[in-house]
Amino acid sequence: MKKTILSAVLCAVMAGSVSMCGKAKKELHIFNWADYMNPKVIEKFEKENNCTVVMNYFDSNEALYAKLKAGAQGYDILFPSSYMSKIMYEQNMLREIDRSKLKNIRNIDTDFIARGLDPVMKYSVPYMVTYCGIAYNKKKVKNFKPSWSMYDRTDLKGRMTLLNDVREVIGAALKFNGYRYNTTDDTELQKAGDTVIRWKRNIAKFDVDEAKRGLSSGEFYLIQVYNGDALQIMGENEDIGFALPSEGTSISQDDFVIPVNSNNTEMAYRFINFMLDPVNSKDNMDFVYYLSPNKEAQKLMDKEFMSNPAINPSDEVLSKCDFLIDLGENNTKYSDLWDKIKSSK
Amino acid sequence: MRKSRFPLFVTVGILVFFYLPIVIVIAQSFNSSRFGGAWKGFTLDWYVKLLTDRNIWHAITNTLIIASSSTAVSIVLGTLAAFALYRYKTKMQIGHNMLIYLPLVIPDILMGISLLLFFVSLKAGLGLFTIFLAHVTFSMSYVAMVVLGRFQDFDYSILEAALDLGASWGTAVRRILLPFLMPGIAAGGLLAFTLSMDDFVITFFVSGPDSTTLPLYIYSMMRHGSPSVINALSVILIALTFIIIFISKKLLEVRE
Repeated sequence: MKKTILSAVLCAVMAGSVSMCGKAKKELHIFNWADYMNPKVIEKFEKENNCTVVMNYFDSNEALYAKLKAGAQGYDILFPSSYMSKIMYEQNMLREIDRSKLKNIRNIDTDFIARGLDPVMKYSVPYMVTYCGIAYNKKKVKNFKPSWSMYDRTDLKGRMTLLNDVREVIGAALKFNGYRYNTTDDTELQKAGDTVIRWKRNIAKFDVDEAKRGLSSGEFYLIQVYNGDALQIMGENEDIGFALPSEGTSISQDDFVIPVNSNNTEMAYRFINFMLDPVNSKDNMDFVYYLSPNKEAQKLMDKEFMSNPAINPSDEVLSKCDFLIDLGENNTKYSDLWDKIKSSK
Repeated sequence: MRKSRFPLFVTVGILVFFYLPIVIVIAQSFNSSRFGGAWKGFTLDWYVKLLTDRNIWHAITNTLIIASSSTAVSIVLGTLAAFALYRYKTKMQIGHNMLIYLPLVIPDILMGISLLLFFVSLKAGLGLFTIFLAHVTFSMSYVAMVVLGRFQDFDYSILEAALDLGASWGTAVRRILLPFLMPGIAAGGLLAFTLSMDDFVITFFVSGPDSTTLPLYIYSMMRHGSPSVINALSVILIALTFIIIFISKKLLEVRE
């Protein structure tokens, strides 16, 4: 009896793994963040193209990289952040984009992406843009100023948090001192390090997830956070506000990219093109609450969405923002400084 | 002599430590706040979302297929391995012992990446089957260790007596060895099942397109999703566990 059950289970497993190749319908394999695309839009794509979209999920850019670098294949579209797309492209892990296959690529805001890491969309097409900023409790924080100098406010001592991220935190201090995010200048970094050490005395901790929960429940008054996360908190707590510091902040972008070993590039192009369509792009923005640099789609969004500083910053602030670039060997300068900050009293 | 109250405090402390988190999860699954911080009102939204999200169900199905199949296979392999370790004390068994121990101490990340490199060099397509193989590799060791513990109390002469009295090998194993080992096998199997169900690191590396498991999905939800759906799922899993335990207890009572 036991043996029959056993072999039945085994057969089921084997059949499961074989049948993946045997289906008549074409399959498109996507490697994405969970809940990062409107399922209705995906269903629409499946219907129009008579195919099945198979979603797979990763939890960090680094994990995605490690997995593909080791040779995993079978994915047709990936969604890395732009700094990771760049690394992957430089290591020949991505295909160059054939723009002639993407009719809707003209909807993309070229002025915006010209400042990014892949200004001419050679190997990536932008999906969504995110910013780092400050979320705060309007009732508890008096005289709020949209500035990184908030972290010097001693009256908020123990009620503020910074992200647990080297580049974002040191970057914020660099901006505070009037420098740029990707600097490798030792004296500038030194100064930023001193600033963070000063801030460290005022903050409760360096953290991401607990901070969000804490802000929502009233434990923290002011946190450094990504805009999408802030919007989620604001959705359920009216007292929370969000601002991008006037000194400038970091921008990052998640891209569509096609890995070299994709074996269904035709469908991949069709998928990307489909997602760049204004209506579909709008539906995705409504779902994930991030801004897509898609000019035509932005015209369809309602006013409230577009005038929300947490989604769409003003040009004045935007001009002071930087994309984070991977610094190669100079990364150690940041990690050394971070160690110093973490161990300081 | 007055009895010390210390054991009572420890018991209560441990019960609170074990069960309070579960109570919190159950409470939070009805909280309309998606962060599970402050109480924002009662809702069943998370359950509705859970029941209608086809991606989550796909992940759950994958997880259950892998957990049950890898448990079944590792029970057999692990028990056989334990028997070999118990019965034979040759040099080869010392090596065998080490090989069985290795997956218990090797860091997950190392195992994940080396299995991935192995599968890639074999040109094996990544998918449910590779996850199944990876899970068998580590759960087998756990089963072997637990069953081996049970073997330590086993008196081999009972088996020999049965053979002397004319039982065939099959009968002796079925009537004497297996019933004796059953608690160990069951414990090892449960351990293997749970380990397989929540393994993240190894699974992440050896999974292929269309083989997302529940842990992979949950970790990925951290960035954009709402973990509250997972609270709802946990409540259902807890309920199922209690029901299964209840039924199995009833069945045992009937037999006795």
